[in-house]
Amino acid sequence: MNKFMGVLENVLLPIADKLNNNRYLSALRDGFMVALPLIIFGSIFVVIANFPFLDKVISESAYAKYQDALGPASAATLSIMGLFVIVGIGYKLTQYYKVDAIYGGVVALASFLILTPQVVEKVSGVIPTASLGAQGMFLGIFTAFISSELYRLFVQKNWTIKMPPGVPDAVSRSFSALIPITLTLTIFLVVRILFSYTPYDTVQNFIYTIIQQPLTHLGSGLPATIIAVLLIQIFWFFGLHGQIIVNSVFDPIWYALNDDNLKAFQAGTELPHVITKQFIDSFLVGMGGSGMTLAVVFLIFLIGKSRQIKELGKLGGPAGIFNVNEPIIFGLPIIMNPLVLIPWLLAPVVVAIVTYIAMSTGLVPRPAGVIVPWTTPVVLNGFLATGNAWQGGVLQAINFVIVAVIWWPFLKILDKNYYEKEKYESNSKAS
Amino acid sequence: MKRILLACSSGMSTSLLVSKMKEAAADEGVEAEIWAVAQDKAFEDIKKADVLLIGPQMRFLKGKFAKVAEEAGIPLDVIDPVAYGRVDGKAVLNKALQLIGN
Repeated sequence: MNKFMGVLENVLLPIADKLNNNRYLSALRDGFMVALPLIIFGSIFVVIANFPFLDKVISESAYAKYQDALGPASAATLSIMGLFVIVGIGYKLTQYYKVDAIYGGVVALASFLILTPQVVEKVSGVIPTASLGAQGMFLGIFTAFISSELYRLFVQKNWTIKMPPGVPDAVSRSFSALIPITLTLTIFLVVRILFSYTPYDTVQNFIYTIIQQPLTHLGSGLPATIIAVLLIQIFWFFGLHGQIIVNSVFDPIWYALNDDNLKAFQAGTELPHVITKQFIDSFLVGMGGSGMTLAVVFLIFLIGKSRQIKELGKLGGPAGIFNVNEPIIFGLPIIMNPLVLIPWLLAPVVVAIVTYIAMSTGLVPRPAGVIVPWTTPVVLNGFLATGNAWQGGVLQAINFVIVAVIWWPFLKILDKNYYEKEKYESNSKAS
Repeated sequence: MKRILLACSSGMSTSLLVSKMKEAAADEGVEAEIWAVAQDKAFEDIKKADVLLIGPQMRFLKGKFAKVAEEAGIPLDVIDPVAYGRVDGKAVLNKALQLIGN
């Protein structure tokens, strides 16, 4: 068993290393991090605007006014999150090349806007906001990668205007960016013009149809989700941050699905997807962290006898409420511990299936597309994620029980092992 | 004054360890500035540190950090998983001091 795990770790560590040290995936992850505070700001106001029972307390017109007043908060952030992600990626990727990063950010943004449709129902001079959100996400990511690469290439080739010494630094900097920016944006303009002669009309439409739609369709299914969840759990089993590793690949898909739901939620129509960013973050992680270990902490207090386990409960409990569970993962330990491998892999898969069924049958509302901060405690987390639906909180409570039941026998064995070891040690000390 | 920097995915779990390390430092009378950051911010903060410790769950980033740490001329290591799980501030503090000492 030990040998087998050694071999497996030798396979996994390089994968984790490759995925995380890949400059594009790093920039992608950091780009999302840049957008996250804005996304959460928008989400908070979606939650406030759709406060439960408010529509029954105040008059219909007052409620409409209230929603209109708060609308711009999410319209300016959450709904057009693609823009912030693009600036973030452009900035982080050019920063990696040690080139003036803020220009990398704005070049990425401008390149994306050049490729974006600028007509809505024959009215020109407007940009449909839908294309700045999830719909434009994939195009935005690719554009940010390519434009940053082109920009830094032109800068590093030194195709710039040189200013004589004595010209203030800020001035010469703005000139030095001029030629690389002009070249980069011209290339994107040519691409736009070329695409206008194809049946797809715009690049955005092309990427959306050819890449984004098939990928998100695949990602919105239960099989892909179970694979993603299992990968997260397996990485963690070897003590590697599974969430970070897997998210760098899945986030574009999960965020795009999330945004589809948000649009439907705000329009009051049927929510299209069950699997979204929040399906993963609230219902599979938002219960004490990856592997939903808050239920394990609860079991520790319920049945724990050994000193080691009880100590761990006190240590990991408070952090676990806010979904930080490294003390449990490294302390129980979960890593490299064959005894807990079964519940560790099984519980999230069962919960994923139960949650998926509960949401697709309509028993529990689907995630409303808001992004809930990942440190939000369980039950409240599920309530907010489903657009202020009490069923979301109840579902999390049920999931909690499921995880606890799956873990019960395994934790009991583990605890017994520790307890007997402690007894043996204190006996041998006494004698 | 020893300046010890810890990095993990978002700086949350290592900040738990930081508070324990601060307690240990106070007990042992070591004057130390100890703080935790998210891994992407560590590249900047490394300039202000004497040693960098990374959470074991981020150990696949060791190669990436090794270059930066070398440029900054400071030692780095991955925190021992057992000490990490027990949130053993004293052990990690001693490890950090030992790294700075060398």
